[in-house]
Amino acid sequence: MVDRIQQLRNIGISAHIDSGKTTLTERILYYTKRIFAVHEVRGKDGVGAKMDSMELEKERGITISSAATTCQWKGYTINIIDTPGHVDFTIEVERALRVLDGSILVLCAVGGVQSQSLTVDRQMNRYKVPRAAFINKCDRAGANPYRVVEQLRHRLNHNAVLMQIPIGLEVNFSGLVDLVSMKALYFRGPYGEEIVTEDIPAHLLDEAHERRDELLDKASMFSDELMEAIFEDGVTEDLIHEAVRQGSLKRALTPVFLGSAYKNMGVQPLLDGVTYYLPSPKEVENAALDLDHEGQGVSLSSDSDAPLVALAFKLEVTPYGQLTYLRIYQGSIKKGGELTNTRTKKRLKVGRLVRMHADEMEEISEGGAGDIVALFGIDCFSGDTFTDGRLNVAMTSIFVPEPVISLSVTPKDNTSSTKLSKALNRFIREDPTFRSHVDQESGETIISGMGELHLDIYVERMKREFGAEVQTGMPQVAYREAISQRVSFDYTHKKQTGGAGQYGRVAGFMEPSEEGGFEFLNQVKGGAIPTEFIPAVEKGFQSCLEKGLLLGFPVLGMRVVVNDGQFHAVDSSEMAFRQAAVGAFKQAYPKARPVILEPIMKVSVECPSEFQGNVLTSINQRRGLIVSASEDGVFTTIDGEVPLGEMFGYATTVRSLTQGKAEFTMEFNRYSKVPDAIAEKVRTEFEARKKGGKK
Amino acid sequence: MIQDLMKFGPLGVLEKTSHKGLGKGHLGVLIARAGVGKTACLIHIALSKLFRDQKLVHISLENAPEKVSSYYNVIFSDLLQSLGTSHLAEMRALIQQNRMILSFLNQSFEIRRLRENLANLAQRIQFVPETLIVDGIDFSKVSEDLLEEFQEIARTSQVEIWFSALSHKHIADTNERGIPYPCNHVDHLFSIILQLEPSQSGILLKLLKDHENPIAAEAHVRLDPQTFMVTA
Repeated sequence: MVDRIQQLRNIGISAHIDSGKTTLTERILYYTKRIFAVHEVRGKDGVGAKMDSMELEKERGITISSAATTCQWKGYTINIIDTPGHVDFTIEVERALRVLDGSILVLCAVGGVQSQSLTVDRQMNRYKVPRAAFINKCDRAGANPYRVVEQLRHRLNHNAVLMQIPIGLEVNFSGLVDLVSMKALYFRGPYGEEIVTEDIPAHLLDEAHERRDELLDKASMFSDELMEAIFEDGVTEDLIHEAVRQGSLKRALTPVFLGSAYKNMGVQPLLDGVTYYLPSPKEVENAALDLDHEGQGVSLSSDSDAPLVALAFKLEVTPYGQLTYLRIYQGSIKKGGELTNTRTKKRLKVGRLVRMHADEMEEISEGGAGDIVALFGIDCFSGDTFTDGRLNVAMTSIFVPEPVISLSVTPKDNTSSTKLSKALNRFIREDPTFRSHVDQESGETIISGMGELHLDIYVERMKREFGAEVQTGMPQVAYREAISQRVSFDYTHKKQTGGAGQYGRVAGFMEPSEEGGFEFLNQVKGGAIPTEFIPAVEKGFQSCLEKGLLLGFPVLGMRVVVNDGQFHAVDSSEMAFRQAAVGAFKQAYPKARPVILEPIMKVSVECPSEFQGNVLTSINQRRGLIVSASEDGVFTTIDGEVPLGEMFGYATTVRSLTQGKAEFTMEFNRYSKVPDAIAEKVRTEFEARKKGGKK
Repeated sequence: MIQDLMKFGPLGVLEKTSHKGLGKGHLGVLIARAGVGKTACLIHIALSKLFRDQKLVHISLENAPEKVSSYYNVIFSDLLQSLGTSHLAEMRALIQQNRMILSFLNQSFEIRRLRENLANLAQRIQFVPETLIVDGIDFSKVSEDLLEEFQEIARTSQVEIWFSALSHKHIADTNERGIPYPCNHVDHLFSIILQLEPSQSGILLKLLKDHENPIAAEAHVRLDPQTFMVTA
């Protein structure tokens, strides 16, 4: 019997927005008989593609939330996670990548590797995801898949190799030459479901042989057998498949497929490619953190009989309650069985267990290692780890970036107020990069996230899904504070108001730390401060970092060294030393020349080369630093670093400067000191807001 | 560290051994076989310029900006390890403020586009370089016309331009002036020609042409293959 897990593929479809990945997914579901009609993302029939399950996505023609679906292809089970394409939703992409074993990188044959593809590819590298590339839209005017392969090699550093060549391009695109079988493939029938195999057209024979030699040359680097077979003229299809597979699993080779999903061409060979070249869960190394042994790594075994370890990677609200998507790394989940959430230590009973197909579901009784399943009625957060109680582990925490932008939201009436809190509660569970809090001074509800579009989408979801009518304020940048010079402190906390007194003295210095976080060093000698009070001193300093004394922003990058102090045998306590630390902070901080820090974004703008000058000016005017410009054909990509505070409304500006032909991506890079003139403006605005809030 | 780099790095050595360094309006070339360290040596020259607070444009015809930038990072961190510094943040800032990377990928390089790029940098963001580093030109196919265009840019923009040229082990052609392939036909366009050669005790940096001046005996120096600093 063939091992079930070896015939399982967990794949993602990641790409630049508008490169056609939703259409591709739709066609995959059609050919694997999960759906019986084909719709378009911006379909005239008003139905919309299957994977875009949220109303909003249907309306905007973009994919925001990842939805998982399972399908069958030639005896293989393929779980597909459709991932969003916009950089503001990267947490969705990153979460999907965390649970994937392989991915299809969809690229547009016209647009090629665009700035968004760079971001998505970087994320895939971070999670070591092997991928195959699919160059879509070969039927469009200006399609040039060969240029895209070169871009894959140079811009993304992929050892990309064509598995096919096109028969005709643009309007003449009519089929593919498969370089493994050396046959021409044509896609017939109303939806290309019938594949007709013929001999390679004579005019393409030379090119096909040349490209096949290139394929063999690259693939043979990963298989001695193939190398020998090339010398002995005994190359078989299986040998090529195995060699490409080895290269792909090591992420040292990227097989490239071609087609046009919209015109129903090339999707089935891509599915074959997924089964041939992308890994099964058994071929991917996964590790968890042992919570009983200080987070030591424990490798997981992809064995359904081993103790269970599963990760909740996505939550969704459905009419039937909260739906939790789980990736099972080892062990199995049975309907009626019990699970332990290792974060809360709560035990939960498995009620309904389902396999998802976009927004439809199939009831199942059991899920095994490698599976992606969904459960109803489980109270948890995204990122929680579940076991059967035999292990106390957590899956490596998903890297969560800190939010950089915030917005006030005010409900228009009382009903909306209740609905708003429901919506916020839901979004926080779903998306760790989305935060919400009530500002103590102004009493306003503040939401924070990764970009303007990120927050826009949540505001719209509040209205549409929860019926909460809200008014939003101007976007605010998440400023921070930091000290800029070393300063000593020596503070004694002394209180005698009847009963037991309080006494503690701390001395030392604070200085800027390049690490970015808070460092505490205990250099007290001779027991000047007893060891048991040192943690209280640390906590005292740490508590002050939440609100700096300059403008009340959180403090970054500080090292505190305590090297002396004094205690009293009766009056010293943890509380006293904590207060002493707070006093020392207040004493030293203003003298340490505190400055305001602002988030600096990595901005990448792609535009036709003739607009390079305009884009350079637009970045320069925003206090941006241009780092590089890269030309490729008629396009230029300009990379720079720009303060987030200067980027509001940039999408509109850059469009008008380039006749709508530019696009840009932006991600958080680092915090940097605000120039003095701007700091003054920030201070004035902040104080005005504070006054407004108090009224 | 800056002083050490100025004194013992390739640029420092060059300025000491040659009569006046390359100088604005001139072209210089560094010849070496694959893997000897052409790009690394050019980046050392570039870092010396950047740390003097001089603006520089690094033009790559092969690599995307990310890759060029990571080359700089690797070489900078190797230098840090061997020389150490207490001015890390300032040095990083000097690199960031003074360096611009221009990449021309997939045979998209055109001298016309380079001129436009340089004009955009000067007019739009007031970035006026003193040095251009050009990496990735195929000297086995380069036309004299193209190099003359570069000479024109060097003169009109008042920059010095450094190139890298790939030589081959199996092509030993050398002209009567001692300039090896692939620069033996175009040496008249260059004011300084350097050659890197691997040797058992490090890398040998040879000065083959120094404007119109005779080559001094001490013009050949040995460099540490890791740090590109003079070893003896």
